[in-house]
Amino acid sequence: MAQDPNLGPPVALWDPLVRISHWGLAIVVIANALITRGGSALHVGIGWAALALLILRIGWGLVGVPEARFSAFPLDPRAALAHLRSLLTGAAPPHYRSHNPAGAVMAYALWGTLALVIATGLTMTTASPLKLARQEAIVASGDWSALVTADQPAEDTGLINRKLVRGVHNVAANLMLVLAALHVGGVLVESRAMRRNLVAPMVAGHRGQRE
Amino acid sequence: MTRQGRKSTALAAFVLVQTVAAVFFIGDSIGDLRQDGFDLHSIFEVLVAFALALGIGFGLIGLRQTLIKMRAQEQTIAAASGDLARVIDDQFAAWGLTPAECDVGLLALKGLDVAEIAELRDAAAGTVRAQLTHIYAKAGVSGRAQFAAFFVEDLLAGPLPAATQAGRLASNETRR
Repeated sequence: MAQDPNLGPPVALWDPLVRISHWGLAIVVIANALITRGGSALHVGIGWAALALLILRIGWGLVGVPEARFSAFPLDPRAALAHLRSLLTGAAPPHYRSHNPAGAVMAYALWGTLALVIATGLTMTTASPLKLARQEAIVASGDWSALVTADQPAEDTGLINRKLVRGVHNVAANLMLVLAALHVGGVLVESRAMRRNLVAPMVAGHRGQRE
Repeated sequence: MTRQGRKSTALAAFVLVQTVAAVFFIGDSIGDLRQDGFDLHSIFEVLVAFALALGIGFGLIGLRQTLIKMRAQEQTIAAASGDLARVIDDQFAAWGLTPAECDVGLLALKGLDVAEIAELRDAAAGTVRAQLTHIYAKAGVSGRAQFAAFFVEDLLAGPLPAATQAGRLASNETRR
């Protein structure tokens, strides 16, 4: 444990790409889960933006700065449980230069769930958001015939399949919200236990800590 | 935020815009492909998609290099300022300055004048002036300018620019 290269002083400020993708994903999740109407051009467009943000973060996890890479916060459920146990017993857990093991599990859970939401969303999508917007404009102008071609299912996907995909999409989206709430709660608990502000490094535009 | 901090944020935002554009373009192209099949148009779209993906990859690597360079510079500056403080402390000790003289000397190096030092230390201007005189005597310098130069000199490790400056002056003379 002592030789763990991922232990060390935590980041004073996450790099701009981590911050932009983090808050970008927070916004798109809230927008699509709570505000936009499923199947609308806006909903699909925001979903595609979410896909872009997720791709960007995964790319950064492979080639980015050291603390943003996946290698800095490996998925290790046993270490995560040990970390949570040390929080409960009040023993001071070690500082990690990236996410702690519990935070890492949460990050992968959030990304995995989001990937599932996006994948199921894409299979339900009949056209690009641009075409959908055009169709919506046509329907809005009173010509309902656009709906007939738009909603025609492909021959190979049966009714049961489509229902299943829709169900997974909805369940995963709700799971996403639950995880996001847990994530916020975890950050607050961790900030108290570790006696340092975990939120500031994800927000501030300047180095928060000065000697 | 520093100039480089703004640059890296702008670069990250730029890569984000590029990625969103790429996803929309590729998604739209796949839609076209499913509708119309593969044709000459599709070949161009594949090429553009490839170029976009390449641009994103290079953007990310460029961003990483900018950030790593920024951090290295910050570390160098921190190390240099720490080193200078230690050099000054050692030199003050070597000159045998009293603790009070060390404080006054440090404030003088920071560019404060006699009145300001006196106010900071709750002392009379005369006392500070006397302490400065003692410091200069112990250091063997003629006055404040030479005292400050004593520490700056070591930082300017390169050769004196006298030769090049003389050459430039000479060429200016001839041009006139």
